[in-house]
Amino acid sequence: MSYKDKIKTDLFPTIWCPGCGIGLIMTQLATVMDDLGLDKSNTVMVTGIGCTGRMGAYMQFDSVYTLHGRTLPVAEAIATVRPELNVIVVSGDGDLTSIGGNHLLHAIRRNPRIKVLCNNNEIYGLTGGQTGPTTPVGTKTVSSPAGATFSPVNLQGLVNTNPNAFYAKTTVYHQGQMRRAIKEAIEWPGFAFVDITSQCIENNGRRIGFPSANEMLNYYKKEYRQAPPGSTQLANHQLGIVKGKPAETEPVPVGAASGNGSGEA
Amino acid sequence: MAKRLLQGNEAVLLGAVKAGATYFAGYPISPSSEVLMAASVYAASHPELRFLQAEDEIASANAIIGASLAGAKSFTATSGPGYSLMQEAIGYAHKLGVPTVFVDVQRVGPATGMPTMPGQGDILQTRYGSSGDYTSIVFYPSTVAECYEYTIHAFNCAEESRSPVILLSDAFLGHLNEVVDLDAIDVPVVPRTLEPLASGHTRLFSGVATYPDGEPATADGDEFIRQYEEAKALRLEVADRYAFYEYGWNKDADTLVIAFGITRRIAQPLAPHFALFRPIRIWPVLQDQLREIAPRYKRLVVIEGSDGQYASVVERVLYRDVHRVPLLGGRMSLEAVREGLERIGLLPRELAQATVS
Ligand SMILES: Cc1ncc(C[n+]2csc(CCOP(=O)(O)OP(=O)(O)O)c2C)c(N)n1
Ligand code: SF4
Ligand SMILES: [Mg+2]
Repeated sequence: MSYKDKIKTDLFPTIWCPGCGIGLIMTQLATVMDDLGLDKSNTVMVTGIGCTGRMGAYMQFDSVYTLHGRTLPVAEAIATVRPELNVIVVSGDGDLTSIGGNHLLHAIRRNPRIKVLCNNNEIYGLTGGQTGPTTPVGTKTVSSPAGATFSPVNLQGLVNTNPNAFYAKTTVYHQGQMRRAIKEAIEWPGFAFVDITSQCIENNGRRIGFPSANEMLNYYKKEYRQAPPGSTQLANHQLGIVKGKPAETEPVPVGAASGNGSGEA
Repeated sequence: MAKRLLQGNEAVLLGAVKAGATYFAGYPISPSSEVLMAASVYAASHPELRFLQAEDEIASANAIIGASLAGAKSFTATSGPGYSLMQEAIGYAHKLGVPTVFVDVQRVGPATGMPTMPGQGDILQTRYGSSGDYTSIVFYPSTVAECYEYTIHAFNCAEESRSPVILLSDAFLGHLNEVVDLDAIDVPVVPRTLEPLASGHTRLFSGVATYPDGEPATADGDEFIRQYEEAKALRLEVADRYAFYEYGWNKDADTLVIAFGITRRIAQPLAPHFALFRPIRIWPVLQDQLREIAPRYKRLVVIEGSDGQYASVVERVLYRDVHRVPLLGGRMSLEAVREGLERIGLLPRELAQATVS
């Protein structure tokens, strides 16, 4: 078997721009899926609207291409109804953290057994490169001509509000480390979030001064460092996996409410 | 089981369970919260019903879609603002062809409006609330027993039509307690139709226009029309088998009252003086039945808890004017019906006298 068995190569070329980082994620995900024996009878993919979300169409699994921002409630319900399945969410940073931010907050809190790969290209790729909640302060985009104003959302901090959760930071340049992070996420007995920095060359990179994807990858190589082993907190531009304490019990549906609600709203 | 006292909202939960529902997600909102609370209580002793009190109605709506794809008959219940938040997901379920059930216990809107007061202002939203074209199937019971019965029909119809089916209720009906004998209601249950996720296929359930192989079809009008017509034909064909309505009261009268849901109950004292047409299947509109029955009457009066939403539909279907009795601001009472009929000069003398006595 090979990772290629997990991909619908007959649909190539993909719609992704030449040099886009999404394909690098798909290759490593497919490799891990092959290693771990994930197949169309035990695994479901859930993706959201955005360039990243197209990945589901290219893989050999049943795949749900959800509305923009709604991967997590769909994935969580699938995991509830079919606890034996591997439920893999792959989506964009805008999809997961902006329009889907409330679901992210609550999925982290409920700790369902779903694995989230966030393609963090720091931009709204599909819609043409507008600024988003992951865009670094000062970045000039088509919707922030004077530079992005607000600090990016702290994904590590958010995920780690649940002491049982799993957070990994990686980039598409660091292929081995990305593969390890994806593998450990899939094996994790609860909610796992893999935050993958990657390049949107067409609708971001070129506009901020990178001539090609190659320079962006080299930039990740230069800027990102492995965190010291055993780190419980990753600094900016540190790569690593921060695992909480696995939950002792599987997440269960909320039980009966006691008492009678009497208010109205 | 013998007769029992049951609330409309609880009857919905029992109907869903009877229909085979195994997943509920919802967010508290009056006047639908009893469905959510009853589901949580039921789930605590029947683990086959999975229960999620979600972070909001958007999550609830998308969760029941995911649950249905995974193999569970699923449903949610909401009202007014919550139902508005669910519209995008309802369009998505139509696009995917996912059987699931949305229960909308109507209150007075728009916005937060009058949270505990009954209204019927979501008639058009249940048809046109999401963007684009799709074929909605909507039922609206009038009694607690019917809340149970038509919830089962809604699940059955969702399976057969592969679409999200809406069950309408209202604050009045949802909170009404009536003596019912559920055993006397025998609706055969339609089994699951959609092959669940991870059955060995590589299907793409996409809200984006795609070809069957998963390639984007976002600029192919022919393919769009092909898929749209196919879905529409299935839904209309299935809806035909669920063409529920009531035609009665004084059929020899010269005026036909059209009323549905709780309004039909409120208007009951009009029975000696008017004929009644009560659509139970609100959408697709019962056009053939209306076109057959309405010509027998000199006048048509639509009594409804909105400012003419259903009346405008009847006018469109029949190409003729109808009289309107809108019951607004939660004033869904016989008094308000009398006032409305008086305003248009159609209040029977006997009923006018009843007001005085
Ligand atoms: C409700 C809704 N709002 C807006 C859009 C338009 N839209 C499509 S993709 C997208 C942003 C995608 O950005 P991201 O999630 O980061 O994915 P990327 O394309 O960068 O992979 C937006 C705003 C939409 N499809 N639906
Ligand atoms: S627009 Fe950006 S994210 Fe989208 S495919 Fe092109 S390079 Fe990739
Ligand atoms: Mg992005």
